[in-house]
Amino acid sequence: MNTHKKHGFWHRYFFSLDHKDIGFQYMLTIFVMVSIGGFFAYVFRMHLAYPEMEVPLFGLVTNKDYNMLITNHGLIMMMWLALGMLLAVAGNYLIPIMIGTDDMAFPKLNKLSYWFFLISVILMISSFFMKRGGFGGGWTMYPPLSVGDFGYNTAYTSFKDRFFTANTFVLLAITFEFIALLMGGINFFVTTLNKRAKGMTLTKMPMIVWMINIASVLFMFSVGPLIAGAFMLLLDINAGTGFYDVYRGGDPLLWEHLFWFFGHPEVYVILLPPLGIIAEIISTNSRKPLYGYKFILNLTLIAAILSMMVWAHHQFVSGIDPRAATIFSIFTIIISLPFAGIILAYIATLWNGDLKINLPMKWAIGAITLFTLIGGFTGLYLGASVFDIYAHDTSFVVAHFHYTLFPTVIFGSFAAFYYWFGKFSGRELNKFWGNVHFWLTFIFFNGFAFPLFLLGLAGQHRRIADYRQFEFLMQDPLPLYRQIATISAVILILSQFIFIFNFFWSLKRGKKVTSDNPWESNTLEWQTASPPPHGNFAVYPEVHHGPYEYNHPDREDDFLPQNKK
Amino acid sequence: MRIFPENASSYGADVDFIFWLITGVITVASIIVIFLILYPILTKNKSRTKEQRYQQGKGFQKLKLIYLGIAILAIADFYFLFEEGPIWRNIEETLPEKEVHVIVMGRQWLWEFTYPGPDGKLYTADDVKTINKLYLPVNKNIHMDLQAYDVIHSVFIPHARFKQDVLPGRNITKWVKMTKTGTYPLTCAEICGIGHANMKAEIVVLLNEDYKKQMAKLYKK
Repeated sequence: MNTHKKHGFWHRYFFSLDHKDIGFQYMLTIFVMVSIGGFFAYVFRMHLAYPEMEVPLFGLVTNKDYNMLITNHGLIMMMWLALGMLLAVAGNYLIPIMIGTDDMAFPKLNKLSYWFFLISVILMISSFFMKRGGFGGGWTMYPPLSVGDFGYNTAYTSFKDRFFTANTFVLLAITFEFIALLMGGINFFVTTLNKRAKGMTLTKMPMIVWMINIASVLFMFSVGPLIAGAFMLLLDINAGTGFYDVYRGGDPLLWEHLFWFFGHPEVYVILLPPLGIIAEIISTNSRKPLYGYKFILNLTLIAAILSMMVWAHHQFVSGIDPRAATIFSIFTIIISLPFAGIILAYIATLWNGDLKINLPMKWAIGAITLFTLIGGFTGLYLGASVFDIYAHDTSFVVAHFHYTLFPTVIFGSFAAFYYWFGKFSGRELNKFWGNVHFWLTFIFFNGFAFPLFLLGLAGQHRRIADYRQFEFLMQDPLPLYRQIATISAVILILSQFIFIFNFFWSLKRGKKVTSDNPWESNTLEWQTASPPPHGNFAVYPEVHHGPYEYNHPDREDDFLPQNKK
Repeated sequence: MRIFPENASSYGADVDFIFWLITGVITVASIIVIFLILYPILTKNKSRTKEQRYQQGKGFQKLKLIYLGIAILAIADFYFLFEEGPIWRNIEETLPEKEVHVIVMGRQWLWEFTYPGPDGKLYTADDVKTINKLYLPVNKNIHMDLQAYDVIHSVFIPHARFKQDVLPGRNITKWVKMTKTGTYPLTCAEICGIGHANMKAEIVVLLNEDYKKQMAKLYKK
């Protein structure tokens, strides 16, 4: 029986140990971070298309501002939005409730992980206000640039000078965030292994629980080298060591290897949870078992292992031995195969299904389509080392990774929001505005990212504040492409306000849900009240079936909840 | 309107060929994937019975098709690798016989080019330098010693399809052979501080006689 008490406001938002409240705290914190990252994107996109204009709400953008904006946009979106939203929010909210238990295995560790996350956010935001300005060395932080002052020509005189710089604060912020995610990851893994409801064997777990756990373990395996690298970078900045200084026995290439050894698996850490979210949604809304459950699982494990062997494809022209590039090129091309299998299995789930095209389904199908057709396929260009010579560090790469990350992180998160909002709040999101939001996001995301491919092919290199000085980049129609991208990006950002208003308005005043299981889903979170009480279940469920038994021939209705005999 | 900048190097066409090869294959693949996604959405699979839906989900008939899909992609993948391997080895792993030798040095925020002096040898006292302007002869194998002075930069010559990061304390020798005379941009493709956007040089590709005249002019200075 559930013995948990209901808590007041302060307890709920500041000291709660309930995994749902902690997930909500993470979510609100990440909303703040995304707003900052999105604002930065708006400012530098405006500057690129209209370099002479004073950007509304910001003013004139100098080269220094521009470097700071792109760097922090990248860092915030990669580290705080992508990792945070998909591991911390989805993991915290969904894992205990989907495996039918009351809370995490270590609720206090969970609380601590949120506090570390909050510290990391505070450190990150305060790095913008350092005396010498925000961090402007690119989000990949390649030394020796990131050790110094990014070319601002300021001399450091004391330790205090060196410590209170954006470089130090950004590195500390990343360290704190990774500690938070490690604590979260350990919690997810232990909870999943030890606290599953009676009868829930490992292969009866919903796919998303698997995906978040594989992602967390992959994160743990890959994060070590980055932490070591970041520690050395921190010493280089503050203690005057020379780990990355070639004139004192170091090597800048060392950082690139350590960074990408983490950086590439991180892409899959980000990708796997949305693939899990999509699996839940397409199976439920196709009213059909998820095609090839174990097949998908095996391919995911293969991809996770392969993802540790491809890091140097970010470095084909970085000065590594060109013969090594061939090996990494082969592994990079091979890693497309398990993902092709996973995507084809998802498409096979759609076939012969009784499709319900509702909002979460639209986001899920939109994510698969864009991720496969454009994000995935353009990876082949870059994985082929020869074309990467040309495309590396051009807008082509920018377009490619926006097409891989945006459909998964943003579309995947929205799919999850529209799918689980009723469970989470007990109210419904407005469907009309949901549709408007979907179509605006879908259209203007493409309008923003697709021109970048063409710009990249025309030779437009990255991270340039002002393209006017490059004649070959100002020929028609390239400035027009830049303007299309910018206008689309601005509309894309504005249309997110529709979601924000819809979210907060519905949270307080939305229509109450009529059923605890509106999608007629099988998994355990739908078999309790909406919103679930502290402790999640009135009576702890016992599991008798796999998570995707839709249209079972022996049953009259088309679904069979996991806890029903 | 052309997609790429005009090609002006001996291996640029090979790089473009890989692009068009991959484009061709993924266009076909995209059409298949679009059909696979849209068909069930548009038809909604109305005529299926309950048993059919459940059995299709649980069964393994489609697995053969998925393996087929993976196999086709694998063949395409390895075909790309097979095609690009020799090109990569030609551009990156081998150095053709040296006809002209220059040093390209990136520093915050300009490009410094060093040519051999009258003795015809680099790294000697009579070497001559130009800033942000590189003179090269047409149709000669040019060896470039790529270096950086302070932070990581990246030599990017879009018209030659050439790119190489340069790192402080490291000398990387690569080659290029320009096939057309004219003026081409050389830019920095790796963020290197606030002047990154302004780090721009010109490559002036000259006929052999003009190149010799230009060098003589530099020696006089």
